[in-house]
Amino acid sequence: MKARSIILALVALCLTAGTASAATLKIGSLSPLTGSYAADGNDIANGTRAAIAAIEKDGGIPGFDKIELFAEDSACDPRQAVAAANKLVNEKVVGVVGAYCSSATIPASEALAEADIPMLTPASTSEKVTERGLPYMFRVCGRDDDQSIAAMKFIKDVLGAKTIFIVDDKTTYSQGLADNVEKLAAKEGLKVIAHDHVNQGDKDFSAVLTKIKDAKPDVLYMSLQNSASGALMLIQAKRTGVTAAIIGQDAVYHPQLMEIAKDAAEGMYLTFGYIDESTPSYKKFMAAYEKFGKPGAYSAYAYDAAYSLLSAIKATKSTDPAKIKAELIKTEMQGASKKIKFQANGESGSNYIIRVVKDGQFANFWDPQTGKKY
Amino acid sequence: MDYLFQQLINGLTLGGVYALVALGYTMVYGIISLINFAHGEIFAAGGYLGVILLSYMASQGVMDNHPWFGLAFALILAMGYCAMLAMAVEKVAYKPLRSSSRLSVLLSALGMSIFLQNGLMLTQGVYDKAYPTEFTHGGFEWLGVRVSFMQIGILAVTGLLLVLLNALVFKTRIGKAMRATSQDKVMSALVGIHSDKVISTTFAIGAALAAAAGIMVGLYYGSVRYDMGFVPGIKAFAAAVLGGIGNITGAMIGGLIIGMVEILAAAYIPHGGEYKDVFAFVILIGVLYFMPTGIMGENVDDTRV
Repeated sequence: MKARSIILALVALCLTAGTASAATLKIGSLSPLTGSYAADGNDIANGTRAAIAAIEKDGGIPGFDKIELFAEDSACDPRQAVAAANKLVNEKVVGVVGAYCSSATIPASEALAEADIPMLTPASTSEKVTERGLPYMFRVCGRDDDQSIAAMKFIKDVLGAKTIFIVDDKTTYSQGLADNVEKLAAKEGLKVIAHDHVNQGDKDFSAVLTKIKDAKPDVLYMSLQNSASGALMLIQAKRTGVTAAIIGQDAVYHPQLMEIAKDAAEGMYLTFGYIDESTPSYKKFMAAYEKFGKPGAYSAYAYDAAYSLLSAIKATKSTDPAKIKAELIKTEMQGASKKIKFQANGESGSNYIIRVVKDGQFANFWDPQTGKKY
Repeated sequence: MDYLFQQLINGLTLGGVYALVALGYTMVYGIISLINFAHGEIFAAGGYLGVILLSYMASQGVMDNHPWFGLAFALILAMGYCAMLAMAVEKVAYKPLRSSSRLSVLLSALGMSIFLQNGLMLTQGVYDKAYPTEFTHGGFEWLGVRVSFMQIGILAVTGLLLVLLNALVFKTRIGKAMRATSQDKVMSALVGIHSDKVISTTFAIGAALAAAAGIMVGLYYGSVRYDMGFVPGIKAFAAAVLGGIGNITGAMIGGLIIGMVEILAAAYIPHGGEYKDVFAFVILIGVLYFMPTGIMGENVDDTRV
């Protein structure tokens, strides 16, 4: 009898031990880990890793032993993004941080929506991402329409430009942004000399840059999908002798821009979400991110996306998407990138400012809200 | 008018790059009728070796004191390394298939291309690598046309290599052996030409040219990436076909035409920038329709090989 109860107790112990070790919280990340956009894509995966490390350092999530990340490669390709999203559905993740290119985020989000998995994008700024009525689609970064308004305000109020030349590389993101700027420019009475296109992955921009040099616009709006192409265009613009003020956007924002373009990047303006580097949240992010090197444009946004998802799971003690959504909408959180308060449509607001490349560093330049220089 | 001349200079430079890569395609095709898809990756490997060597020398101060020495050293080392790499590729992926169908060799070439590209990605990382370009700045302006020293450099190197290559093929013993092997492998072996050695040498020379192109491209554009070989590879292959595959001068002319068409389409046709590749390939199809062997290609009787 005694022996039997001991055996039973042992069996029970083994069982509980078994269930306890199986309590792993799975989350996913979707971003281009290979290909042209790998720099930003790896930043997103690393930002998510940093958030997991920060949460685990603060005691983790009650009821779960550990948090496991499935970092999938979306390759900025609609087909691969859907395949990767399906893989995450099969892994039964409770939430996904990603993706990067809007053209990949949109189809991937449809696949995740079928399984009611919340998706928080740290980088896709196309308006369409949140305007399709998906219940669990959230956006931590800003929107293209807000970004183009900030850019146009700067072009008109600060630069006092009369003529503008627009170039984009035909992605959902870059062309959407360029189209917005073109429309706004016409409304503001600026002369759009031309809206030209290049191809993704092009290395040689000499033809279009010679055209720009000849047209002598006040402003060149350079709408490209990645910082490496941006650097190539800056080098060649300097070599060609383009004198227009050059304005880029958040996708071109990366330390790699200055590494490659060097002094050719000097004086370039970019629209980018304001990051308050004095908050404790930012310092916590920097400490957790340290081992991955210098943060890129989307590291902090990816960190915030993962952090708010995990915090919501922690607060509700549940992985039910409806409860997570209610919690995300209810609470305001000071993130590493900005104050995050989600609305019912999944947006968290834009906070675009103008930054400039100065002495090989990004520096705050002008705030369109207050109309003041930093 | 200066606008046109500026665009012509742009087109010549781009065409020069394509031509340098195209030479390797055309030489290998000329000798064993193989489209060596891995050639674009050899070009990328040359670009990477260049950035590694130049960055190291720049950090040691060599580039400040003896920039020309540093450049020549990197160029020679990268050309040598890529020549050996191409010979290894030939030995592993093509030689065992010498007597099998052309399709198997073609597939082997595709596989080698993917293998090398992924190898570059895994060893060198997915990020772009910046070239130390401080010493390549500068140029001059003449009647409103800006020409940088790098553009002159690319054209000069391309022209020089073309002359050397023509001399090699038509004036030397190994050149004679190459031409004989390309005409008839069995017959040339019967008269005592070591055809395996000749084929290996051809691969090595083509790869050395691609390595030079890789470094020039890195210096001119300022960065390299592991997948940089793919697009220029396709364009250079088109250039080789356009000029008449197997013909060295033809590859040069084909490269210049494709580069020129791309730039002029982007410069003069509204929205030409986004369709420049289309124009380049339309020209290719048009030429092949009227001259199926390409501009300089000879009509070779298939039964002879």
